[in-house]
Amino acid sequence: MRTCLSVAILLLAPATGIAHRLDEYLQATILSIGKDRLQAEMTLTPGVAVFPVVLAEIDADADGVVSETEWRAYAGRVLRDLSLTVDGHSVIPRMVSARFPGIDEMKEGRGEIRIEFQANLPRGRRSRSLVFENRHQSRLGAYLVNCLVPRDPDIRIVAQTRNYSQSRYQLDYVQAGASTWRPGDGAGLGLLALVLCTRLAFLWRRRPVTGT
Amino acid sequence: MSRLATSLLFVFLSAAGAQTIASRIASSADAFLATLDQKQRQTVLFALDDAQQRVRWSNLPTGFVKRAGLSMRELNATQRSAALSLVSSVLSKRGFEKVQQIMQADGVLKHNEGNNPMFGEDLYYISILGTPSPAEPWILQFGGHHLALNITIAGERGILTPTLTGAQPALYTIDGKTIRPLGQESDKALALLNALDETQRKQAILSYRLADLVLGPGQDGKTIQPEGLKASGMNERQRAMLLDVIWEWAGIVHETAAAARMAELKADLGETWFAWSGPVTAAPGANITAYYRIQGPHLVIEYAPQRLGGDPALHVHAMYRDPTNDYGRKLAAK
Repeated sequence: MRTCLSVAILLLAPATGIAHRLDEYLQATILSIGKDRLQAEMTLTPGVAVFPVVLAEIDADADGVVSETEWRAYAGRVLRDLSLTVDGHSVIPRMVSARFPGIDEMKEGRGEIRIEFQANLPRGRRSRSLVFENRHQSRLGAYLVNCLVPRDPDIRIVAQTRNYSQSRYQLDYVQAGASTWRPGDGAGLGLLALVLCTRLAFLWRRRPVTGT
Repeated sequence: MSRLATSLLFVFLSAAGAQTIASRIASSADAFLATLDQKQRQTVLFALDDAQQRVRWSNLPTGFVKRAGLSMRELNATQRSAALSLVSSVLSKRGFEKVQQIMQADGVLKHNEGNNPMFGEDLYYISILGTPSPAEPWILQFGGHHLALNITIAGERGILTPTLTGAQPALYTIDGKTIRPLGQESDKALALLNALDETQRKQAILSYRLADLVLGPGQDGKTIQPEGLKASGMNERQRAMLLDVIWEWAGIVHETAAAARMAELKADLGETWFAWSGPVTAAPGANITAYYRIQGPHLVIEYAPQRLGGDPALHVHAMYRDPTNDYGRKLAAK
């Protein structure tokens, strides 16, 4: 099926660019939610045109080599540019692993940086809300955020809400078997117990005394 | 004729037909392998469970992401013809035509880029995982820039997932004929969107930008939370239109396998979602510039126009998956 391109070809296409990412820094995140832990994988692909900006941040000493110290520092910076809250409480993402491609691959727009992170989730009420924000290289960033269908049958995703650029993502989900008390409700429970004890003590003192 | 006799005849004819298809494919594979010398045969054959080779595919040109197997460039005319006959035997007529058009588009891109050696119809690779057989499972891979067919063959069954199709330019003209390799995928989806009422469109159209495929290369076995409009909220006509969009991928493989796959996807239809992001119109005769996704329990289809190279209507990536059965995983589990 060899096409003879010497045959007159009328191309409707204008001069096309080549096949790699150009002027954006694609940052795709896939979240996986569990009862007490969030796991995530980020895939970051700098476009050819923005690569120098990204490289300057990674290769801090500008020696053309990404050392372990440098990629660890960069992965840490990416994580610090994330914001993660659960039911309004801030949680801290911790890096699990990071994988960096060669500089040449990134220069050609085909190098993918992979960062895995996780975060412990505080116990909470049945209906939960997780908010993930990515502010890393926001002037260049093209964001994708998605959540895997939970493996835990007790967790059911109710809604996903994003801003237009997907730099902000909210995941509302229901967690069966969770306490219906809010995290701050411990104080209320203690107060109720105190009132009940006081009332019982009062009744005990006023009980009728019988006997010989 | 009694119902029993009719059923027996159907079973017999089905078995005979299946054998014909399975035998035809296995014969094509044997015929291709017979054209190769020993070294070439070693290069093209892999173990069925070779995990690295299974995932050695990409939307990117082969100069960027190395493929293994034998490229069309390494084959003489007889070998190349036998290779393409094998690919053709596993696909439907339209499926093979689509593959040829994707390759042809890369030839056009090469020409358009000043004979850039990174592109062209010679840079498509064929590989075989396992031993071609009319009964036992094996995998045929064929791909290069904008194409990755991973076809698990087991008798009459042909599992086409994961498969990547794409094109740049996604619209070109040769000998006065305008060709859009993924034109039907574009037109049918837009027709479906236009067939939805306002309430349905509000559900189907996502409020955010999708810059690329979510489940492209390297994202095997993942099932993301579905979004958009559920087909259970569509009327009969709309559901038929949705199936017609799906057919553009499910119908790439040979007719017997495609029919079985469509039956599976039709049974899932109530749990299948349609989501759209981007412009809701297209110029006449042009491709859409919007992203869309169709997702069901055994299906993920993504259509993602690319900004790279200018007009997104002229550069498309698309993904077809069954997260429960990529690379025929279910067959291996049996």
